[in-house]
Amino acid sequence: MNVGERRGASELRFLDPAILSRLGTLELKARTVVEGFLSGLHRSPFKGFSVEFAEYRQYLPGDPLTTLDWKVYARSDRLYVKKFEEETNVECHLLLDVSASMAYGSGEVTKLRYGSMLAAALAFLMQRQRDAVGLTTFDDRIVSMMPPSARPSHLHALLVALDTVAVGSRTDVTTPLQLLAEGLGKRGVVVFISDLLDEPERVIDGLRHFRFRGSDVIVFHLLDPAERTFPFDRASRFRDMESGDELMAVPSVVRARYLDSLNATLDRYRRELGSSGIDYAVVDTSTPLDFALMSYLSTRGRGR
Amino acid sequence: MFGLSFLTPLFLAGAVAAAIPIALHLFHRRAEPVVDFAAMRYLRQVPVEQSRRRRVREFVLLALRVMALALMAFAFARPYVAAASAALADGATVVLVDTSASVTAPGQFEQVRSRAADVIRQAPLAQAVAVLSFAHTADLVAPLSADRSLALAAVAQLQPGGGATRYAAALRRASEELAGRPGRIVVVTDLQESGWAAGTDGAVPENVTVDVEAVASPAANLAVTSLRIEGADAIAALANYSAGAAPAQVVFAAGERRLGAVALTVPPAGTAEARLPLAGVVSGPFTATVADATGYAADNVRFAVADGDGGIFVLAVSSSGNPADSLYLERALTIARGAGGFQFRSIAAAALPSLDEATFGGVDVVAVLGSRGLDQRGRQRLAQFVAAGGGLLVAAGPDVDPDLLTQSPAKVVATGWQVRDAAAMNFAPDDSRHPVFRLFGGAGTLSNVTFTRSARLSAPSDSAVIARYTDGTPAVIEERTGKGRVLLLASDLNYRWNDFPLQPSFVPFVHETVRYLAASRAARTEYVVGEVPGQAAAAGAVTIGTRQVAINVDPRESDPRVMTSEAFRGGIARLQTPEALQAGVSDRQREDGQGLWRYGLLLMLLTLVGEGLVGRRAG
Repeated sequence: MNVGERRGASELRFLDPAILSRLGTLELKARTVVEGFLSGLHRSPFKGFSVEFAEYRQYLPGDPLTTLDWKVYARSDRLYVKKFEEETNVECHLLLDVSASMAYGSGEVTKLRYGSMLAAALAFLMQRQRDAVGLTTFDDRIVSMMPPSARPSHLHALLVALDTVAVGSRTDVTTPLQLLAEGLGKRGVVVFISDLLDEPERVIDGLRHFRFRGSDVIVFHLLDPAERTFPFDRASRFRDMESGDELMAVPSVVRARYLDSLNATLDRYRRELGSSGIDYAVVDTSTPLDFALMSYLSTRGRGR
Repeated sequence: MFGLSFLTPLFLAGAVAAAIPIALHLFHRRAEPVVDFAAMRYLRQVPVEQSRRRRVREFVLLALRVMALALMAFAFARPYVAAASAALADGATVVLVDTSASVTAPGQFEQVRSRAADVIRQAPLAQAVAVLSFAHTADLVAPLSADRSLALAAVAQLQPGGGATRYAAALRRASEELAGRPGRIVVVTDLQESGWAAGTDGAVPENVTVDVEAVASPAANLAVTSLRIEGADAIAALANYSAGAAPAQVVFAAGERRLGAVALTVPPAGTAEARLPLAGVVSGPFTATVADATGYAADNVRFAVADGDGGIFVLAVSSSGNPADSLYLERALTIARGAGGFQFRSIAAAALPSLDEATFGGVDVVAVLGSRGLDQRGRQRLAQFVAAGGGLLVAAGPDVDPDLLTQSPAKVVATGWQVRDAAAMNFAPDDSRHPVFRLFGGAGTLSNVTFTRSARLSAPSDSAVIARYTDGTPAVIEERTGKGRVLLLASDLNYRWNDFPLQPSFVPFVHETVRYLAASRAARTEYVVGEVPGQAAAAGAVTIGTRQVAINVDPRESDPRVMTSEAFRGGIARLQTPEALQAGVSDRQREDGQGLWRYGLLLMLLTLVGEGLVGRRAG
């Protein structure tokens, strides 16, 4: 197997045709009601700075005169109109948490793998909309950064980057979010994919920075099924995947309070992020990727 | 020497089982799996157990489990503290205090108490003292203790009763109380000769000495030794245990009602009966009392219970109910009418079903002399009467139809018969020891009875022939049906087929037959003290269940003859108990007394409860 074949297979792993077909269908449905989401599943509301030639056609009465190609008219004495595909100026930033806790997975799929697939699907969607897509991975610092671009070759590089993403160290969103918010050139869409195992205050404050700068922010909060239900049955030593600290616990004794604590945190994110105009979706990594996206889009559609 | 000993130390090996939880703990020390987990921040917000605290808890659990197993082995090994009885190892004194009826003479029991108190005070201080009272049984009234005041107080509380003196039982009980210790048994008694009459030896270990503190017996004693009702008389028997004639007045009473008094003189070392004609029927308990200023007080009164129904109630069933049909039977029974004798009533067979229940319930014996008119209800009543313990006399004479009595349902008797041709015969008992014929001492005057006609009885296999005619055929057959008895005479009782009613043997035959048939319904009404379990050791009339009985002093206890101390000691057999066995018995009793195993098991249970609670927290 040569390099090209392997790369193709990796891309297909992210761009599952079934998922893409469903997303495409969903795109048509959502286009009329969603504005601005991931370049909206409809045409961008912003005028583009750059244009890309699509085709010539004969002038028809009613066409704007500004679209006439005078050079062709001079050469051929015929009126032709230049048709352009607009390229939006929306920049979409995919922020993927690669901290050690993202390597957790009670099943086959870890949170990091799931987040990578989700980011890839979104990147592909953006690219189809001619939006510029960038990728930033972070743990307690920025691990890697790919500036937004709408070029098809950029998508390929981005998918490769997602496929080769490595697990980092501790989660600390303060520094990465601050740096990213300051470096954000213009308003756009920020997609934040993380398990949010950090102080909620720091996460919420960091995300609000993006919102203050005019960007739409979407948070995908990834949770493993075991994190959602705490299904363990025997007394165990639970080892923190980031710090290595161990904690002895009897699941039957602590389960209820664990779930209370988790739900309280989720409620807080839902409440405080929602009040800041930040979209927030809890995604169970056991649910299909397309299901997670549809669930989110549905939520967003009802909200607007 | 102070120390913990064990009755069954082998069980201590069970403590090795304590190694099991230790081994499990060591082998499974890291049993808890390590689970990598990401959402630790939520887990940390729960007050979960830290590893160090859990380790402490594990050790507590381990300790509790080990302790539970060790305590179980400890309890099963039956521990006891040898030191607890070490103070008694020097020996002990057991004081046996006679509280029988033979120490009830005036001033006699005060002497007993005084002597017993002296013995207690004079016992060596190093020795523990126990006090037992005894008559027919021995009871511990003060356990072995160095506390003399306890023993003295117990002696001061003692009272004599109506029990008979039984030295053997008392000595055996005292030896048990010593439990193998060397020691001394001091018997404070009147040394009554009849005290050894029980026929069993006193068993005293070799390391125990027996001393006697004898108190004086009265020189004379007058006792009421029996009381009964015969016919219309109340009869009390008096015994005079003295060298001189004893004038006495016997007072008969029924409860608070004085029935009368009889004055008489009882000959020296002899007996006499006081007979009081009763004006009416006496029912329930009654007494005969004699005044005796010098002898035992306990035997001055005798109790008896009169059934009050005037004796055995015989119901004669004849074909017509005419008195002539049962004339000879009635005459034979009315000779002894009243209490201790018989009551008689005649009834037609046809009237039997309609006889009221109250009357029929009092019937002891039914004599069937004729069966004409006896319907199924009458037969059923007869069958139920016999099954419930009644006595049935069937005279297989000309008026009794065998088919009627043997047909089912409501079969009254199992034996059938046929009337046979006339032939002069006599009869004789098949077994002269049978209660009906015991009085005649063999054939005797019965052989003078001539039977001109008779019935040929077909005796079932489970019946007994108790008299036969001279040709060998059954003359009297006994059946047992349910609780009752049935006697069949293969002839009549009304001077038609035989001359039996004219013979002198007829009356005693009828009396003995009726008494025998009624015996299954009769109940014993007199006992001596100690015979009835659960009753106080005193004479009197008591109710047991639904019936009244009289409890009296054993007449043997009224004999004041005494033996010497040497003769008393001579009656004591020595127990050749090996020392080891004695020690074993001692240890067992010591362990029984302390019951430390209970505390061990209780502690084990508490430990297990604690283990459960800690274990539940630990998961």
